[in-house]
Amino acid sequence: MSTYLTQVRAILWKDLLIELRTRERVLAMGAFAVLSAVLFDYSIDRALVAPQDVAAGLIWMTIVFGGLLGVGRTFHLEGEDGAFRGLLMSPTPKDAVFLAKTLANFTLLYVVSLLVLGVFMLFFDLELGTSPATLVLALALGSLGFVALGTLFAAVSSGTRLGETLLPILVFPLLVPMIVYGAGATARLLADRPVAEVAGHLRMLGAFALVAVAAGSVLFRFVVED
Amino acid sequence: MQVKGMRRAGAALAVLGLLGLMLVYWMSFFWVSTEATQGIVQRIFYVHVPAAWTSFLAFGLCALTSGMYLWLRDERLDRAALSAAEGGMVFATIMLTTGPLWGKIAWGTYWTWEPRLTLTLLLWFIFLGYFMVRGSTEDPGKGKRFAAVVAIVGALEIPFIHLSVIWFRSLHPQPVVVRPEGPTLPGDMFTTLMTSLGSFTVLFVGLFLLRYALEGLRSELDARARRAAA
Repeated sequence: MSTYLTQVRAILWKDLLIELRTRERVLAMGAFAVLSAVLFDYSIDRALVAPQDVAAGLIWMTIVFGGLLGVGRTFHLEGEDGAFRGLLMSPTPKDAVFLAKTLANFTLLYVVSLLVLGVFMLFFDLELGTSPATLVLALALGSLGFVALGTLFAAVSSGTRLGETLLPILVFPLLVPMIVYGAGATARLLADRPVAEVAGHLRMLGAFALVAVAAGSVLFRFVVED
Repeated sequence: MQVKGMRRAGAALAVLGLLGLMLVYWMSFFWVSTEATQGIVQRIFYVHVPAAWTSFLAFGLCALTSGMYLWLRDERLDRAALSAAEGGMVFATIMLTTGPLWGKIAWGTYWTWEPRLTLTLLLWFIFLGYFMVRGSTEDPGKGKRFAAVVAIVGALEIPFIHLSVIWFRSLHPQPVVVRPEGPTLPGDMFTTLMTSLGSFTVLFVGLFLLRYALEGLRSELDARARRAAA
């Protein structure tokens, strides 16, 4: 068990270190998120709609689009010089590789989703509501489910001719639960509703993330086998 | 083997299903009584509900055989999954066209974010992804594995999608057949619905067998071409 954790930690640390040095993906995702928020702001006619009313949905859509941008490139850098093949040939179990990749993506996306929240607060005049901690937890659970599905299908789509173009077609239909419960919880929390009202949302987000991580851990080996 | 027998059985069942379908059309247009509140438009029910049932059956079969393919790696299981997925797409498309036609008159709108309608639409797109993944891989073995993964993850997520889309209030008719206190559907409507369910299922099984046999012939042809080249 401890070997397993060491393996996960080693791959996770390697991925985070690459990201720290290059800042490629997180920079692209962050810039994308901020620019989307700017465009979203201009897409709303303030005379007709209060920006606060639509902010929760837009926050989650920004996370999804920005997330796809980064998650889709999970296997690019390593794919170019055959490093990923080396990783797969090492005695590390495939599920450990998947978990490490998912956790690395989760770290990136979570940073980006907190940035998105901050940017929307700034641009849309949002107050954090009664329970910022619950809001941050909802973002964490939603992001985790999303990156688990995203990482699995990024491995699928990068093995096809269509590449990243295929990723949204595979992932979007499965994201409905995340959007419904994530945006629902966010809207309620931003509107100062009591935390108890979103307990069901959080449970569903948690269950969604759990199933996504479990399915990815089991199925990843079939995607990368040769 | 068996490809020939399968083709014969498939053709026989498909013809039987089509004959059943003609009977269903006759029953639903001329025999069954008109529903009191919705009037004549309710007759589309006898196509809509069996199509939905058949597409769920087909997608379920696809997920099941996909899982078994990843486990046992028998080419026949992959052929079965592909054939079921194609059948499911056809019947889901029928369900998605008859639903809005009925909805426009019964509810006053073509499209609502009604749970079962939304679920079928999303299933349709999940299986669109299934075919795109299959079609865009150079190595056929890879495409089969990828597609199987898509089908399995889709099947696992369905309970979540279903629960989440129910959060939007349902306009959809409540169950009228499978209920603890027995069907509430009047006798002749029940008979028509059951005839239609039977015909659709037989038609699907027939088409499925034909498609499966075709896939078998295709792989045999590939094998022969490879042998000839070698």
